[in-house]
Amino acid sequence: MDDRTVLRFERVEKSYGAVRALEGVSFAVERNEIVALLGPNGAGKTTGLEIACGLRRCDAGSVRLFGEPPTSVAARQRLGVTPQESGFPDMLRVDEILTFVAQHYPAASPVSVALARFGLEALRKRRAGTLSGGESRRLALALAFVGNPDLVVLDEPSAGLDVQSRRRLWDVVRESARDRSILLTTHYLEEAQALASRILVIDRGRLLFDGDASTLRDRVGDRRVSYVGNDGPVLVTPSDADAYVRALVQSGAAFTDLEISKPSLEEAFLSLTGGSV
Amino acid sequence: MRALSLLRAHAQVAFLELLRYPGYVVPTVVFPAMFYVLFDLPYARTHADVADGTALAFIVFAIAGVTFYQFGVGIAAERGRPWERYLRTLPVPPLARFGARIVTAVLFGLMTAAAVALTARALTPIDLSASQWLLVAFYGIAGGVPFVLAGISIGYWSSPRAAVPLATALNLLLAYAGGLWMPPEYLPGIVQRISPYLPTRQFADLLWSVPGGAHAGPALAGLAIFTLVFGIIATIGYRRDERKRYA
Repeated sequence: MDDRTVLRFERVEKSYGAVRALEGVSFAVERNEIVALLGPNGAGKTTGLEIACGLRRCDAGSVRLFGEPPTSVAARQRLGVTPQESGFPDMLRVDEILTFVAQHYPAASPVSVALARFGLEALRKRRAGTLSGGESRRLALALAFVGNPDLVVLDEPSAGLDVQSRRRLWDVVRESARDRSILLTTHYLEEAQALASRILVIDRGRLLFDGDASTLRDRVGDRRVSYVGNDGPVLVTPSDADAYVRALVQSGAAFTDLEISKPSLEEAFLSLTGGSV
Repeated sequence: MRALSLLRAHAQVAFLELLRYPGYVVPTVVFPAMFYVLFDLPYARTHADVADGTALAFIVFAIAGVTFYQFGVGIAAERGRPWERYLRTLPVPPLARFGARIVTAVLFGLMTAAAVALTARALTPIDLSASQWLLVAFYGIAGGVPFVLAGISIGYWSSPRAAVPLATALNLLLAYAGGLWMPPEYLPGIVQRISPYLPTRQFADLLWSVPGGAHAGPALAGLAIFTLVFGIIATIGYRRDERKRYA
């Protein structure tokens, strides 16, 4: 394995009883990449993350985290994970929890830096049990990054946040992503598009797409041409949009509001997953 | 070295967290001392010949109870929590986490034992020298270990709901049959015959050897065997739980 590869899944299979959660999933996360695992609920995203973090074992195939099994201590020294924000030890203070987690990592950032980056300075002496939902979310994120790991895994980082908080979160993630890789799950297309350099689309345990956002759009189809002609609005999806427009202009027919558009990521996604988001 | 510093970090956090629950700490620390005051003090304060032995028996009751019941069995409730799941993703060897649990439990056990010891010192003619108390503390640490492991074993092998009543019953039965509440020679015949093989009795024999001058070897050997046995059962329980929970 070359050392640019941070995480590698090869033909990974996982079933829960009769339910097949992952079927032959293969992908790799390289250094300094932000990869979004995108799919509807129950697609297998969380199972994939759990296997990557060593919280579950796969039934078949192989998973390598920094070239080692994900349960190895050496691999985990380079991995940062967010805890569920409801689950902190109530009585410990924010700075105590950060210090405790940082102690596990050989190259941890100073706790003061993590406090500042995630907007926790004013909360440092607060007990975890008294934090609001948004504050807990920031602490959870800070814990994933405080060890200065080479790969950070985020499960639905913006679920339940309002639009403003979500944008702030994106800024923080982008900024914290320098010199490390991030693997995140989301079912917000917008989030995948805003953050990720690569998108993996997963549905019913199968990996349907692996590439960047514009390739994902291209894959589902041709550009659409719309205009308002003499007989009203027209919307067509020609196999060659450029040729179509050229012919339209040359025909001399009257038209207004000419528009040529690529399908949105949402439409691309819907066509890939057969309509389920 | 790294494993040791992580052990200390985990023990520190666990201890800190506990100390912030006075509603938990105070009753837990006071309970064995209260038991001692209610059931033993009336007799011990006027009988110098039994003051040492009975106080030491209640010290065993204090340490064994806290380590077995509170810390060992507590694992049954904790292992399903989200924080526990998060800790599993951190780079820490399981042995360091086990070790931290044992250290925390034994330290807390010593605190409850200190409450009994201070009560005895204040109110009875107990007569132990400073070096004897030191030896009691040292034996108290050694004796606490198999009880944490026994508690962890129960915590892993039973459901969280079943663990508590089971441990309560065992805790009280073992205290009684181990001769912690009354001298072993007053126990019913059949119990008297089983008693020497029980971990509570061996723990008591160990502490009684301090003022009594008996050889501590047999009691230490017995406790070492229990440590080994419960260590193995706890480890198998841990692995089994891992397989189930993280399959």
